[in-house]
Amino acid sequence: MKRKSHPLLGIHSVLMMIFIYVPILLIIIYSFNNTRLSGDWEGFTFDWYASLMTDDHVLEALMNSLTVGIVSTIVATLLGTVGALSLRGLGRRWKGSMNGLMYLPVIIPDIIMGLSLLVLFNQMHVPLGKATVIIAHITFSMSYVYVVVTARLAGMGKQLEEAASDLGATPWQTFRHVTWPQIFPGVISGALIAFTMSLDDFMVSFFVAGPSSTTLPIYIYGQVKRGISPEINALCTLLIVVSVVLILLAQFFLNRGKGQKKHKMLPI
Amino acid sequence: MKRKGIAGLVLAGALALVSVASLGGCSSSKETLHIYSWADNFDEQVLKDFESKFNVKVTYDNYANNEDLLAKIKAGGGGYDLIQPSDYMVRTMIENNLLEPLDKNNIPNFENIQESLKNPDFDPDNKYSIVYTSGVTGIAYNKKYVKDTIDSWEDLWDPKYKGKVLLLDDNREVIGMALKKQGHSNSSQDEGEIKSAVDDLKKLLPSVLAFDTDTIKQKMIQEEGWIGTVWSGDAAFIAKDNPDVEYVVPKEGGTIFSDNYAIPKGAEHKELAEKFINYMLDPQVSAKNYESIGYSDPNAKAMEFHSEEYRNNHMINLSEEELGRTEWLGDVKDTLQLYDRYWTELKSGR
Amino acid sequence: MRRSKLLITPVLLWLALFLLVPMVIVVVMSLMSRDTLGNVVFHFSLNGYKTFFDSLYLGIYWDTLVLSVVTTVVCLLVSYPLAYFIANASPRVQTWGLVLITIPFWINFLIRTYAWVLLLRTQGVVNTLLIHFGWIQEPLQMLYTKGAVLLGMVYNFIPFMVLPIYVALEQMDKRLLDAASDLGATRWKAFRHITLPQSKSGIMTGCVLVYVSTTGMFVVTDILGGAKSTMISNIIQQQYLGARNWPFGSALSVIFVITSLILILLFNRAMQSRADRAKEGRA
Repeated sequence: MKRKSHPLLGIHSVLMMIFIYVPILLIIIYSFNNTRLSGDWEGFTFDWYASLMTDDHVLEALMNSLTVGIVSTIVATLLGTVGALSLRGLGRRWKGSMNGLMYLPVIIPDIIMGLSLLVLFNQMHVPLGKATVIIAHITFSMSYVYVVVTARLAGMGKQLEEAASDLGATPWQTFRHVTWPQIFPGVISGALIAFTMSLDDFMVSFFVAGPSSTTLPIYIYGQVKRGISPEINALCTLLIVVSVVLILLAQFFLNRGKGQKKHKMLPI
Repeated sequence: MKRKGIAGLVLAGALALVSVASLGGCSSSKETLHIYSWADNFDEQVLKDFESKFNVKVTYDNYANNEDLLAKIKAGGGGYDLIQPSDYMVRTMIENNLLEPLDKNNIPNFENIQESLKNPDFDPDNKYSIVYTSGVTGIAYNKKYVKDTIDSWEDLWDPKYKGKVLLLDDNREVIGMALKKQGHSNSSQDEGEIKSAVDDLKKLLPSVLAFDTDTIKQKMIQEEGWIGTVWSGDAAFIAKDNPDVEYVVPKEGGTIFSDNYAIPKGAEHKELAEKFINYMLDPQVSAKNYESIGYSDPNAKAMEFHSEEYRNNHMINLSEEELGRTEWLGDVKDTLQLYDRYWTELKSGR
Repeated sequence: MRRSKLLITPVLLWLALFLLVPMVIVVVMSLMSRDTLGNVVFHFSLNGYKTFFDSLYLGIYWDTLVLSVVTTVVCLLVSYPLAYFIANASPRVQTWGLVLITIPFWINFLIRTYAWVLLLRTQGVVNTLLIHFGWIQEPLQMLYTKGAVLLGMVYNFIPFMVLPIYVALEQMDKRLLDAASDLGATRWKAFRHITLPQSKSGIMTGCVLVYVSTTGMFVVTDILGGAKSTMISNIIQQQYLGARNWPFGSALSVIFVITSLILILLFNRAMQSRADRAKEGRA
């Protein structure tokens, strides 16, 4: 039975969305501004999009960020979810220390994480490059996934799983058909947060990136002194457009797959 | 047994993914020069010309301040062949044994540098560094709102500009400025002098709109602030977009600074880096580069190739008289802790 | 039990190598001294820790805590209703709601914060509009104030609060609410006694994520606050960079990490017992 939300909730939500998107709209608008300075409006132009396509530095940084983001998110989601799942089977004492350990990357200030990892890589004679950035990102991302999935698991009972095994399901079958569908929204949310954190990370990446493994945030921070070029605005606008298109496509294909099943739509 | 397999698979998968991803970006067959410097510090075309002339590749990564550079190089973040630390950072890096001595035989064009910028105190005989550009910290002000003559640091304290003062977000620069205002050295190690300067700054605090090093230019252009401590090269940048902005080196004197070429210890392509420096010091290349980026050109022989506009810009090329009033930032040794503590007090309003 | 221990091995190995070892390095550094050049010297000293216990740094730590708590509370208040709305909407709206909330946050943090500068500065969009409609005569000074910093912080961490709360609400058994209304409870009562407790785990996760992220964030204070206030993260940053006092910076980090950990574990404990109680209630 569908619940009807209080109308005030709807209004609040719309206001919130406006609040979230006003700066974004500004970024998009300024990508068409015919002046390098982010100041007054001086006319409409596609110039920044054109120069973006030929700006090797930005494109390289973008590719690096996406590569690092995708790879680190996949691995981090795997490790974080596995960590959260296995926590349930552990005894009380282990639980406490595991929790503390997994929360650490989230708490540690970026500069500490960046510097200490750099010292570590240096001692181990690991050359800096994309790999070191990915390793660093996996380390903090897996905590975010862990935190979200754990919260989801906490709200779940063990009843369904116990029922399944009582009925003769193997552990794998129980996982695949009972546990997994329940934690799925948590896993996806965790992955989303992890990807966001990776795309946005500056400090940690700065210290462990090698030559030519500049990520987008590092590039942008470096740009600040001279004034961030509207090329970046153009880039951000394109990122939004591409993301929305990708989601639409994913939706479309998922819908076709599901067919007539009354299975609840995946959160993403 | 199955679980063990899964655990192993997970770990193996993780490592595999990581190694595959890092394979992307394989080295090219050409020799590569890895430059690590401030953003937009070189004209792109000049870099491309170097690539084609010497048949090499150039990568150019950025940092936003000297401290980041030091921390990274110190903690072992190698891989770079050419860096551009500022004057005081060159001194620090030499003391910490982080730089390679330059082989001047590979840099005959070194002769082209202005005499006054050779053989600096922080690196006698230019053993490890060569100047790239220099400037002076002075006062920039917006004539539209600031009607009085500005010629002293004291003017920043004028209550007329309450809430419109901008200061660099740099402890040595700002405290150094206050020290000079009181007639002392900007690198004083005398506790009494430092305290007196900081007390003075605390009185200025209510007038300060913001501390900012990176976007102080934009704040002046957008007229958020009307008056503030600004580097000469930045002042030229501001004036280009907002002609109402003027610049002056106060009578008490300002801090002079420079950015310098240097090669980190253990750099893989030291000789190529030296070739690059030599190439950049060619008068025509030099003129092309500095015209484009708008900083002061230390190359005496390049002046004839510069535009009149550039030569006449007093915010890029300061007068002898103004330069006579400047002082380099020196090493303050142990009192650095004191500077840091006072700076924290200032910035936290305590 | 054995299965779980095996499963957790890769995770533990990874963390042991890439997290614990670096942390040990930091702890060791916090107990060293520095020489005149600013290098770490292997000479045992508690100076790093002693320096912290001083009214200046304690005061800054307090300011940081206050800002983080206020940000977390405000963020919670504005995010909860949004998460609730989405969790109770049709599946289509749910998908789009979550997507729309997350996408803006894939845009670089710095760009988003600078967008607020464009909006709030003296000649910015907001002031221009307000003056244009005659609502004010002189532009308002909105930037470089504590309010601007709070706004920037809350803005940047909304998805951290919305997503976990949504996850918790989404899995709630809606039939409980049906049962409640059948038994005559008002919407508010049902919310207070059923929905709220059920979403506790989400609230706790969101609060932890936002709180921790806020304490570690100094960029917003610099850009939107005009760098006129200092957070503990600024100080730590300063010690590693400009002040070249790695032992002090490390000591601060250790103190910072330990106090945050304690807070979080306390939160967790509160969350666990509520979750247990809720489960008992259902059985």
